[in-house]
Amino acid sequence: MNAHEHCVRAERIARSLEKCGRDDFEMKIEAAMLAGTHWMNAALHRLSVTAPDSDVFHTYLLTVNEYRRLSVADESLVAALTEIEDLRPPYVRGNLPGGEQAAERALALLALIRNKAEGSA
Amino acid sequence: MKTSFHLSQIAKLQALRARLDPLEDFELWFWVGMTAGTHAVNAALHCAGITADDEMFPTQPGVYLVPARDGALKPAFRALGDVLHVGRPKIEMPVPEHVARMFHQMETIEQHRDPCVRHGREPTPEIVAECDAALRCCLELLSNEVSAVTP
Repeated sequence: MNAHEHCVRAERIARSLEKCGRDDFEMKIEAAMLAGTHWMNAALHRLSVTAPDSDVFHTYLLTVNEYRRLSVADESLVAALTEIEDLRPPYVRGNLPGGEQAAERALALLALIRNKAEGSA
Repeated sequence: MKTSFHLSQIAKLQALRARLDPLEDFELWFWVGMTAGTHAVNAALHCAGITADDEMFPTQPGVYLVPARDGALKPAFRALGDVLHVGRPKIEMPVPEHVARMFHQMETIEQHRDPCVRHGREPTPEIVAECDAALRCCLELLSNEVSAVTP
């Protein structure tokens, strides 16, 4: 998928996010993960670090070598998506208290990723 | 996680899903349904005694976040509790027929995950209808089972 197509998908997910209520923190985190992955792929394609036929699905599925390579391209971008992904086990699959705050953090990280993707356009 | 947690999560997700447009909001609509179905599968596996309902949070197959002595969550190897998706990890023992049917319904849904959410395939009304019917069937199978085991 090319950078423009990733952005279109990410923007659609971001619009859907607005339909979540305050207590839908699980799906806010999931939506941040989904949209953030699309925006990160858009940024990486625009930086010519990855090709349109080589998208990242989850950072934890990358080889260590590839994770380090992408971090060289933009360490804070990769770290932001990693942090969103790390919110999923305790707050989406589990019931650790503080889900609403975790969702706010996920959305702040998503904004960072989006800014980077749009800044690389 | 406890069956009661899975059931309450299903209800919460169903309420959100009802506010989403299946085509306009496809990615999130799909993800909410898939997550609800996975909760249903985990609840059914616990009720059938196949998997443990311990309060631990799955990170990857075989690895769970568990509280350490200082109260912080630490990743640790544990026997099978909640699954992440049907097939992740694969259940290596026979399961009751209704659980096998739930697995099949979830596989029907998940076949559309990567093409329509990760890749560029545009969702269609037919895909939406297939996912919706599969989730409904999955939840009905759980409902029948929970009704049977809960007085």
